[in-house]
Amino acid sequence: MCAATMLVFLTSNPDAQGRGAAQGRAGGPPPTAKAAAPFDPTGYWVAIVSEDWRWRMVTPAKGDVVSIPLSAEGLRVAEAWDPAKDEAAGEQCRAYGAPGLMRGPTRLHITWQDDSTLKIETDYGTQTRLLRFADAGRAGEAGRTGASGAKTWQGVTTAQWVMAAGGGRGRGAGPRHGSIKSVTTQLRPGYLRKNGVPYGDRAVFTEYWDMHTETNGDQYLVDTNLVEDPVYLQTPWITTLHFKKEKDGSKWDPSPCDARF
Amino acid sequence: MKLRIAFLFIGLLAMSMPASAQIELTGSYVPLLYEDYIERGPGSDLGDFTGMPMSDEGRAKALLYTSNLPSTIERQCLAQAPWVGMYRPLGMRIWSEVDRDDKVIAWKIEGDYLRDTLTIWMDGRPEPSPNALSTGAGFSTGKWEGDTLTVRTTHVKTTWIRRGNGIPASDQTTYWVHITRHDDLLTVVTIQEDPIYLTEPHVVSRVWRLDPRGNQGGRAICNTANEIPRLEDSGIVPHYLPGQNPEADFMMRTYNLPKEAALGYAQSLYPEYRHTLKSIYTPPASCGRYCCGWIERQGLPGAAPGLSCNDGGLGEINPIVRSKQGEGDGKAAPRK
Repeated sequence: MCAATMLVFLTSNPDAQGRGAAQGRAGGPPPTAKAAAPFDPTGYWVAIVSEDWRWRMVTPAKGDVVSIPLSAEGLRVAEAWDPAKDEAAGEQCRAYGAPGLMRGPTRLHITWQDDSTLKIETDYGTQTRLLRFADAGRAGEAGRTGASGAKTWQGVTTAQWVMAAGGGRGRGAGPRHGSIKSVTTQLRPGYLRKNGVPYGDRAVFTEYWDMHTETNGDQYLVDTNLVEDPVYLQTPWITTLHFKKEKDGSKWDPSPCDARF
Repeated sequence: MKLRIAFLFIGLLAMSMPASAQIELTGSYVPLLYEDYIERGPGSDLGDFTGMPMSDEGRAKALLYTSNLPSTIERQCLAQAPWVGMYRPLGMRIWSEVDRDDKVIAWKIEGDYLRDTLTIWMDGRPEPSPNALSTGAGFSTGKWEGDTLTVRTTHVKTTWIRRGNGIPASDQTTYWVHITRHDDLLTVVTIQEDPIYLTEPHVVSRVWRLDPRGNQGGRAICNTANEIPRLEDSGIVPHYLPGQNPEADFMMRTYNLPKEAALGYAQSLYPEYRHTLKSIYTPPASCGRYCCGWIERQGLPGAAPGLSCNDGGLGEINPIVRSKQGEGDGKAAPRK
């Protein structure tokens, strides 16, 4: 009776069977992140710039910080933006750090670098991000606990699959669903917007990645994301981005960082 | 014995979980206005069709629009499309309706500027005939795909798509909607298809946050009333004749945008369009309208002393806050 009841509980409760990183079968090692993937994020994706067009497709005027909850210090720094200084300092990639890059007019090329690392390349600014999959509950742990290391435009990203209830493996199992949660830290100070809206090296960039497949076969990758910055933001800047799957890389168009356009 | 009872209780609890509901959506949600703030806050600029994949018919109709058009009784509810919340500044409330077996048969959404409560049927009922009545809320069915509620909405009335500048949607519109909850954040993606006024699906994604105070939602009725005496029973339909809209080039002259971008040509939505932009675009010399967004509008502690904003001709924003800041540093010169 007890065993049967417990079995019912375990098979009904999503927390027991799916949340967090996928677990291995009894006695075996857990599957790799690649093997556990409930959806296939690989391929070429293009940003559809249907929102904030005037702030994403072109460089807005200096001081145009609308929509971003800047602190007074953030606004002061944005008002001091000087692309010539950035160019002279070799900092023309400031708008291509992860939090700004993802809002850019870019294509993504996503591949598995290895069984536990997703590689995200962009043609806009020719950047490369690595999403390193960790155990359940550890996404972002390194950064939030103050791990040290070189600060880079793309920072250090830890990720995990967040599995949806239901689905699974084996005979009779339904399709698996889930999301990626990733947390990026160790960011080199950069811009949230091309016109010098800043984030600092203490910024934390959290993303939830979902994929939706339409009945006509179209696929969309949706990136719900939060930028937290204790210096330059009053409150987390929370937005979503959507990318559409392309059949191949024929429109891939690498362009270098540009501090002005 | 106690342990057995506990297991039995837990088991019964687990069995009573509605199998069709992967994530609890019930609650009030506040929209996070960190994207398209101008549209969702003060309202779109006239002639701002950026980010839209409009057909020539859609563009032509949108350019007939004047700000007085919504004052005619017949058009006062045209903004209130079923998923208008994607373009609005206020919140929404979601709840479920269950049958006597506690199975969810519908999700309900009530929110700012909805013409009627939006009902998402989860009981597998078939879609009505294409000839069935179009309603303010349309007809929606939903299904769970993992933790995402996917919705299809049809049978809608003719509406406007975005806020305040007349971009049209026909009653042949179909929405595909994906609603996903991550912790307290609710992501809503709408993919709007319209064979008449759009050349490709119009995709918008927004984030909402659970509001534990539960004071979002409501205002689900559009009341009509005569607003302008000269329109009352006169048969006048405010409009611009084709080719005579003085705001048709507003975005071009204000923000230096090319026509294709300002007036919603689909090619302007994709990165390769920057090749066209690069040779012709120069940023405006300064930000002259709606620049600060959050800082002074909120008047929060830490709002920028000595800095000021121009709210697009509406005058200085929140002069009380500014004057208090000015007391501290003795200067609060408005930006021109």
